[in-house]
Amino acid sequence: MNTLVKSITAISAVTASLMASNVEAVKVSDDVTKLNPKSAIWSNAKFADVMLYPQTTMKMNDKKANAKNANNKAKKAQVAAVYDSKNITLMVKWPDATINKQEGFNSKSYDMTKTDTYGDGFAVQFASHFEDATKLPYVGMGSDGREVVVYLQKYVGRIFEPNGNGDVEMQVNRKQTNYFNDQLVAYDERVNQLGHKDYQRAFVSAGVRSMTEIKDQTAEYNMRLMYGTDGWIGTITRPLTDAYTDLNKGAFPMVIAAWDGSKMNRDGLKSLSSWFSVDLEESGNESLVSELNSSPKGDIANGKQVAADNCAACHQFPENDFAPYTMAPGMFNIGGYATTGYLKESIIDPNAVVVPGYNRNAHRNTPWYELDNGKRISTMPAFDWLDEQSMTDLIAYLKTLKAGE
Amino acid sequence: MSKRQLSMVMDLNKCIGCQTCTVACKTQWTNRNGREYMYWNNVETYPGTGYPKNWMELGGGFDEAGDLQPGVIPNLEADYGVPWDYNYDNLAAGEIMTPNVEPTWGPNWDEDAGAGVFPQDNYFFYLPRICNHCTNPGCLSACPRDAIFKRDEDGVVLVDLDRCQGYRYCIAGCPYKKIYFNPKISKSEKCILCFPRIEQGLPPACAQQCVGRIRFVGFLDDEESQVHKLVHKHKVALGLRPDYGTQPNVYYIPPTEAPPKFDAEGRIIEGSNRVPVEELEKLFGPSVHDAIKTLKAAMKERKETGKSELMDLLISYQHSEMFRLDNNYYHEVAKEKGEHLLAPVDERYVKGKYTSKLTHFKAAH
Repeated sequence: MNTLVKSITAISAVTASLMASNVEAVKVSDDVTKLNPKSAIWSNAKFADVMLYPQTTMKMNDKKANAKNANNKAKKAQVAAVYDSKNITLMVKWPDATINKQEGFNSKSYDMTKTDTYGDGFAVQFASHFEDATKLPYVGMGSDGREVVVYLQKYVGRIFEPNGNGDVEMQVNRKQTNYFNDQLVAYDERVNQLGHKDYQRAFVSAGVRSMTEIKDQTAEYNMRLMYGTDGWIGTITRPLTDAYTDLNKGAFPMVIAAWDGSKMNRDGLKSLSSWFSVDLEESGNESLVSELNSSPKGDIANGKQVAADNCAACHQFPENDFAPYTMAPGMFNIGGYATTGYLKESIIDPNAVVVPGYNRNAHRNTPWYELDNGKRISTMPAFDWLDEQSMTDLIAYLKTLKAGE
Repeated sequence: MSKRQLSMVMDLNKCIGCQTCTVACKTQWTNRNGREYMYWNNVETYPGTGYPKNWMELGGGFDEAGDLQPGVIPNLEADYGVPWDYNYDNLAAGEIMTPNVEPTWGPNWDEDAGAGVFPQDNYFFYLPRICNHCTNPGCLSACPRDAIFKRDEDGVVLVDLDRCQGYRYCIAGCPYKKIYFNPKISKSEKCILCFPRIEQGLPPACAQQCVGRIRFVGFLDDEESQVHKLVHKHKVALGLRPDYGTQPNVYYIPPTEAPPKFDAEGRIIEGSNRVPVEELEKLFGPSVHDAIKTLKAAMKERKETGKSELMDLLISYQHSEMFRLDNNYYHEVAKEKGEHLLAPVDERYVKGKYTSKLTHFKAAH
C-alpha cells in the first residue's frame, strides 16, 4: 500500500458466484501485475462470498484484547481473482467500520508514538502442496510436513526495521549527532528514507510458531490496501508458479484472514476463513473444488450427543465448556474454519495434524502434544473406532459450530 | 532450562537509589532508536507505583498449576511516561526553558515518597530492577512466533529480532513488565544482560558502574562464584516475587537495616524496624524470614568475633571481588559452535528449515 486512498467511487457491482466459497478466476489478456484496487478490470471479475470466523481454537494472553474480542461475529468477505499467463491477482474485500493504524515512529518527538495501537490488515495463505484435498495443511499457517506460504499486509506507519546494512549511525538519537541546523535537517531526511511505510511480508510456515519471513528475495509478490466505503479492499499479486507453490493446476485452495486494529487484533486474534477453492478456467483438480464445497450430511442432534460423550471432557463446546480451556483446541468456531477432511482426519488420526501454535511451556500440566524425536505426538487418543454413522453425525455437528454474522 | 545460568545478586541494604545503573544502561543501550522510553534497568522506590505504573498488578507469570496468566500491555502516556526534552538550543536566544511534551508521568514520579507517617514510622527502600532472565520466562512462553530464546550457554533471555513480529504478547506474559515494545522498529526489546560485555569477561554496565557496589555477577553453578555462595550456600539472596512462577535469576539481599520507629513523643521504640517484614515477604516469599535471620546472625558474629565469611562476601573489599566471569568459556562455546563471538543466533531456525536461505545480521566486526 503506497497511499491510503479513501475511494470516492462505489466499488463495482458485485457478482456473487453461484457456488458459495468457490472463486471462479477470470483469465485476462492484460498484465495483472499492473492492477490496483481501482482498476476497471474488477468489474468483470466474479466475486464470491467467503465467511471469516473469529479464531477461537487458541486463547491469547492479552487480557484487554480478549475482553474486546469475546463476542466476535463472523464477517462476510468477498474474493475475486484474475490471472494472465504468468501471474494471478486476488482481490479481498472485508467489512471493517474503522480505519486503524499501528502508529509508526515520529523521530522528533514521542507525542505521536504509541506502544499499544494495532493496525488493520489481511493475509492470504496458499498451500505448498494440495494434491490430496482431504489432507490440506492446517488452516492456522500449516503443520509439520504441510507447508504454506502466507502474504501479510498491515496498515502500519513508518517503521525502521533492523536491516543488517551497517547503517547504525543512522539509529542514534538526533540530539547525539554532531550535526546542527541544515546538517541536522539533512540527517533527519536520510533517517526518514530508511523507514518502511509499506508493511507487507511473505512467510513460509509449517505451523503457527514456525512462521519464518522470506527475506532472500525469492518470493515475488505485491500487495495493496485501500479503504473503501465501509471496509477494506486488498489485492495480492504473485506468480502462478514459484519456488513455494504451483497454483497453475486448474484449481487451488486458499485461506484469508483479517485483523481489526480497533479490537487490538494481531496474530491469533483475527478472523479467518476455511480453505476455499479458486477455480481457474483451465480444467484440472476438480476433486479439490468438489471436496471443499461439499457439506457433510448427518444427524446433527446425534452428532452433538457423540461430541458430548466423547469430546467435551477435553474440548470446549458452545454449550459444553466445562473442560479447562488449556486442555485442547476450543471448538466454538471449528465448523467455520475447518474443512470436513481435516475434521475427519483429526478424529481418526490426531497425530496427522497437531495444532502447532500451542506453547507447551505456557501450560505445562496440559500439553497438547508430546515430542518424540522432534515429532509431535498428540495427547488426543484416536477415535478411529467410532462407527461410520457416529462419525458422519459428529462431523455434521462440528460443521455447525460457528459464530453468526 | 539452559545448561548454565548467569545470575546477578543485588544487596538492597547498600542501594542508595543514585540511578547510576539506570544511566549506565540508558547511555549504553536505550537512549536512541525507539528505545527512549524504555528502562531496561530502573531503580524504583518501594513501596511505590514502580515502573511501569503498578507493574505488579498487570498480570502475566504463571499460576500454581503452571498456566500462563493473561496480562495487560502498559500504555506509554499513562504507565511508562512519555520522555520529554527541553529547548536547550534556544535558551541563548532568550527562550524560557520549556519541555517539548507536557510531563504527566514518568519513572520515579513518586521517588522517595514511600509509606507510613513521618516521623513515626515512614519508610521506603530502593528496588533496582532489570530483566530477571528467568528459568521459566513468561515472555518466552507467551510468544506465538518462537522469537524469544534462552541461550544455552548462560541462560540469557534474548529476542530474535528476525522472528519478532511485534505482537506484544510477551509484554502481557512478563509479570515484571521488563520487556518493551519498540515502536520505531515494531519489535520487542529487553535487557540483554550486556552479553557483549559478559562475553569479553566484563560485568554488565549497570553492575560495573554501581556506586554502592550492590551488584554481584557470576554463574550460579560455579561454586566459587559470589552469586552461588549468596544464593545457594548462605541462602540470603532471594528472587523477586517468586509467586509469579517464572523462577527469576536476579536475586536480592533483603533490606534488613532500617532505623527504628519513633513513638508519638518522638522517642525511639527500641527493637522496632521501619520496614514491615510482611512487605518483604510479599516481595521475596516466605524464605525471607530465614534470610534475615542468617544476615542478622552473621552481623552479630562479625561484631563479636571479627570474623564472618558472609559479611566479607557482602562487603567485597575490591569491586573485582563481586564478579566472577569467564571470557575463555565464551570463546570455547563459540569455537565449539563454529560461530563468531558476539553473533548470537537462535539455532532452532538458523539452518533455514523453512526458507531456502535466511538472512541474519552480521557480526559487528
